[in-house]
Amino acid sequence: MGNCCSDGPGGQSAVGGTSAAHRNQTGGPNDAVDCFLKSRGYRGLFSQIELSLSASNLRDRDVLSKSDPMAVIYAKGKDGALQELGRTEVVLNSLNPQWITKHNITYYFEVVQMLVFRLYDVDTPFHDLEVKMIKLDEQQILGEATCALSEIITKSNRSLTIDLKRIEDSTRPSQPGKFGQLTICAEECVSSKISTELVLRCLDLEYKDLFARNDPFLTISKYLESGITSPICKTEVLKNDQSPAWKPVFLNIQQVGSKDTPLIIECFNFNSNGKHDLIGKVEKSLADLEKLHSMGSGVHLYSPTPVGNNYENKVLKSQLFVDTFSESVQYTFLDYLAGRCELNFMVAIDFTASNGNPRLPDSLHYIDPTGRPNAYQKAILDVGEVLQFYDSDKKFPAWGFGARPIDGPVSHCFNLNGSSTYCEVEGIRGIMMAYTSALYNVSLAGPTLFGPVISEASLIASQSLGNKQQKYYVLLIITDGVITDLQETKDALVKASDLPLSILIVGVGGADYKEMEILDADKGERLESTTGRVASRDIVQFVPFRDVENGEVSIVQSLLAELPSQFLTYMRTRDIHPAS
Amino acid sequence: MEESYSLEITIISCEGLRINRKKPVKRNTFVTVQTDSQNFNTTKLDMTGGSYPAWNEKLDVQMPMHVHFLNIDVQCKVSASTDRFIGRARIPVSDFTGPYFPENYLHILSYRLRDDNMERNGIINFSIRIKASGARRRITPMAASKVSNYGMVTGVPVWNS
Repeated sequence: MGNCCSDGPGGQSAVGGTSAAHRNQTGGPNDAVDCFLKSRGYRGLFSQIELSLSASNLRDRDVLSKSDPMAVIYAKGKDGALQELGRTEVVLNSLNPQWITKHNITYYFEVVQMLVFRLYDVDTPFHDLEVKMIKLDEQQILGEATCALSEIITKSNRSLTIDLKRIEDSTRPSQPGKFGQLTICAEECVSSKISTELVLRCLDLEYKDLFARNDPFLTISKYLESGITSPICKTEVLKNDQSPAWKPVFLNIQQVGSKDTPLIIECFNFNSNGKHDLIGKVEKSLADLEKLHSMGSGVHLYSPTPVGNNYENKVLKSQLFVDTFSESVQYTFLDYLAGRCELNFMVAIDFTASNGNPRLPDSLHYIDPTGRPNAYQKAILDVGEVLQFYDSDKKFPAWGFGARPIDGPVSHCFNLNGSSTYCEVEGIRGIMMAYTSALYNVSLAGPTLFGPVISEASLIASQSLGNKQQKYYVLLIITDGVITDLQETKDALVKASDLPLSILIVGVGGADYKEMEILDADKGERLESTTGRVASRDIVQFVPFRDVENGEVSIVQSLLAELPSQFLTYMRTRDIHPAS
Repeated sequence: MEESYSLEITIISCEGLRINRKKPVKRNTFVTVQTDSQNFNTTKLDMTGGSYPAWNEKLDVQMPMHVHFLNIDVQCKVSASTDRFIGRARIPVSDFTGPYFPENYLHILSYRLRDDNMERNGIINFSIRIKASGARRRITPMAASKVSNYGMVTGVPVWNS
């Protein structure tokens, strides 16, 4: 939510600590992945790392002003393919940007994790978009840098500076330093559930503009282990204000380190050319700010002024006040599970003819007499093993779609177990047995419609709402990815976004998954139904099975990448707390 | 007086609002929710959000029984007496009623806004809750018929097993 610029011509908006970010704050370590890996004895073999980025001496691509840089982080696979991990905000008019948006990444000690960073100059017409909506091929590239995650971690100050290069495909060798440098800092994430809401206000700010009044905003930064400072959030810019009061800022202990960590609070006068003047600053920890709040007193800002070769802090008459200081607990995914929130999985399997004739060995549904599992069986086993870990009763409603039962019309949602009255099967073994028997009893047909199974799952999820018992559902759809009615599927998904339901689509086989990527809304626009209703949250995650076939750790990682955050968004926007 | 039930609507935010399909909205945006000519309610002006305004403001509005749509209008105050229309969303009552939703269920909904020419202009996010009352029982049957229209019919094949 909110637009992308850290200080835009129109949107001089807040970054990093807004209430929207706070409500959907899921950027912390993925505790579902942690929990699963620990249960399998992977304790101590991985850790969650937070990356912060800054750059210096970037190339200037804008004629009248300076570049407006944004950084995009990719993971580079063994085959050289890049997978986007995240984007920073756009910093306006700066050749030495320090981005506020941080990125969490899981560091596995035994795997070489190559990271690629690309810096783009984002053109002014795009400044009003959300960053994830910006089309990168329409932007000018400022340079690229590659390193292994372990290179950053193993530096003594956990900070690595690398020269930016031209993008690889160019044949001309580039001179080092010509494109500027990128600095990446890594810090281990601290798990903490405490979040603090602050309302900050200043009094009697000194004039920085000669003829106009100040347009003040605050930034809050912390010291990294290496001693450098790194911004964690920034308030919105208030126009023409000598005694500004900003909107609430939410700081998580996870972002800050601890309650006693000194924070640098700086007040700037906004300047559209990117050179904001420092009005004054203070250094206070959250504990200090709490004290200020309880006493109701202010603290004087100071400004570093040059005296000879040194700087001296000149105390100003401007003061900072803390109007609100309140702490709240941010519950995690595991807290809800511990509070007996039931997670229930449902399975739907694609029986359409595009999978190939099950009697032929090249079919995705081929039952091999030697017992070697086919693509679907492999997916059920591997995915099921991870998911059932979180399912409390291990009873799964299981459906098939896109097939014609003997002498019947094509059904887009039939019970996999062959029963006409109940759809549940027992455990992974139950799914496997129902799947094989269904293969013998139906003939593959089409078209491929997801709508009916999603609606059936939505019905089960909505029926549970009346119960006192808190429940959340996950529909797992295993498919070869060729879908007939995209709009009908979108309509069903949009309706489902208001229910305690997530949909995990696992793609098997080698088909084109473009449509699946559209449904997985985190890569593009929000899903919109024919009636103009829009999905209120992202509930779909698409995982191409061929990408995760190597190694247990990566399967867990990809399957559980979004579920906890989708789950938490549902619970937090409705203010539902775990039962104690 | 006509029978009605009360809705508690929290206008959360809007995204990507533009004037004349080009210029992003700057400030002074507000939202009106309306069920019929007598029942409406309006938020305060958003001053700082630009084309991504946020209110988080609770509005109560009465919903007459026979009304099947809720209108939400986004406007922008240009001068003391002039408001510029930005976009409207028409929300069918069936989107927040239904046989299975418990009393007081907090629906979190988003809709596409459309301007005077029915062109897409941004998105509105809000939450809605039907306040528990005796009237509730009567909303459900009407809504139930809607749901069964939309809902798919599960064709359970019968075969020999």
